[in-house]
Amino acid sequence: MEASQPDKPEPQDSVPAPPVVGPVVGLWELFFAFFRLGLMTFGGAVQSWLRQDIILRRKWVDEDAFVTGLSMATVLPGANPVNMSLYLGMRIRGGIGGAVAVVGIVLPAFCIILLLGLAFHRLIGFPIVHFVLAGLAASGVGVTFFTALGVAKRLPRDMFNIVIGVLVFVASAILRLPMVPIVAVSVPLSIGYAYFQVKRARDAA
Amino acid sequence: MLLDRVLDIIWVFAPMSLLSFGGGQAIIPEMQHKTVDIHHWLDGKTFADIFGLSRAAPGPSTLIVALIGWQVAGFAGALAATIAIFLPSSLLLYAVSTWWTRNPDSPMREAVDRGLAPVATGLFFAGPVVILQSAHAGWFEMATTASVCAILFVTRAGPYAIAMSIVAIYSLCYAAFGAAIF
Repeated sequence: MEASQPDKPEPQDSVPAPPVVGPVVGLWELFFAFFRLGLMTFGGAVQSWLRQDIILRRKWVDEDAFVTGLSMATVLPGANPVNMSLYLGMRIRGGIGGAVAVVGIVLPAFCIILLLGLAFHRLIGFPIVHFVLAGLAASGVGVTFFTALGVAKRLPRDMFNIVIGVLVFVASAILRLPMVPIVAVSVPLSIGYAYFQVKRARDAA
Repeated sequence: MLLDRVLDIIWVFAPMSLLSFGGGQAIIPEMQHKTVDIHHWLDGKTFADIFGLSRAAPGPSTLIVALIGWQVAGFAGALAATIAIFLPSSLLLYAVSTWWTRNPDSPMREAVDRGLAPVATGLFFAGPVVILQSAHAGWFEMATTASVCAILFVTRAGPYAIAMSIVAIYSLCYAAFGAAIF
């Protein structure tokens, strides 16, 4: 529904290296995998549960592709969980897979948030609701930390990378600078440095 | 009349979709400005309430737009707002991702891959810190965060198991000790 327009993948059929990696997954299977994650992922932890479920448990996509997707989903505009689902869905089943994954992750959350909105004023009268919600958010933060450690472990041990990563963290989490200037400065610097390195390595080879 | 309001919703949220660098959190201030100060769709208090609600609900927190759309034009508004906030950015990611799979040997692709990773990692670590700060998390929440992280290091627990355990443990603790421990 939400992303039905982006799935016009005809030109992809002519691509020599198909974008689909890993086992062939049925569209319903794909839909339900994302649907159940959309239903149960709290505290901004959707991407982390996507890694736990789609990469580590089901092994539909490998971990290097996950890191690439996480980079794209985070740096490009758009809700990160939706971007990540679109990217993973495309890796699994091309354009239609991306659309199915996005609808799967958004649909349950869309219904639940509207139901919560209707019941909100009644629910909020019970203090226990606040505590349980705070607990769910805190557990989401826990799984996000776990994923961040997993991703950081895979980065090349390069001084420049480490400095960029730490500076971006400090600018965002501690100085609370807005996202646009952080991205506008760090992304060209980091890609420029990487491009220089890639060029040099390829020229040497 | 309804159509006018739905078009207003699309006109407000669709451009924001392409401004949401680093995720939905980035556009919350802009969203508040547009919907509360300019369009008067809802007051500041209601905005704060539904912001909390969107953080508590599962899935992407950007779905706060569904609640705003609902306030303005009912179900049609909720649907229009959701599509408007997700579709433009999805099309962009679709285009980039398609280019990506077609140019496996491009040096630029390798550079983008390597160059984005440290930026994304820094932002990814920042996310939980910002959430913990803005939620004024106490020791009980901090302990929850640390325990979940530790549990994932040793088991492959799924989201259901974790969420159900949290609901059970928090309910039991609340029943046993009341609000004092939180």
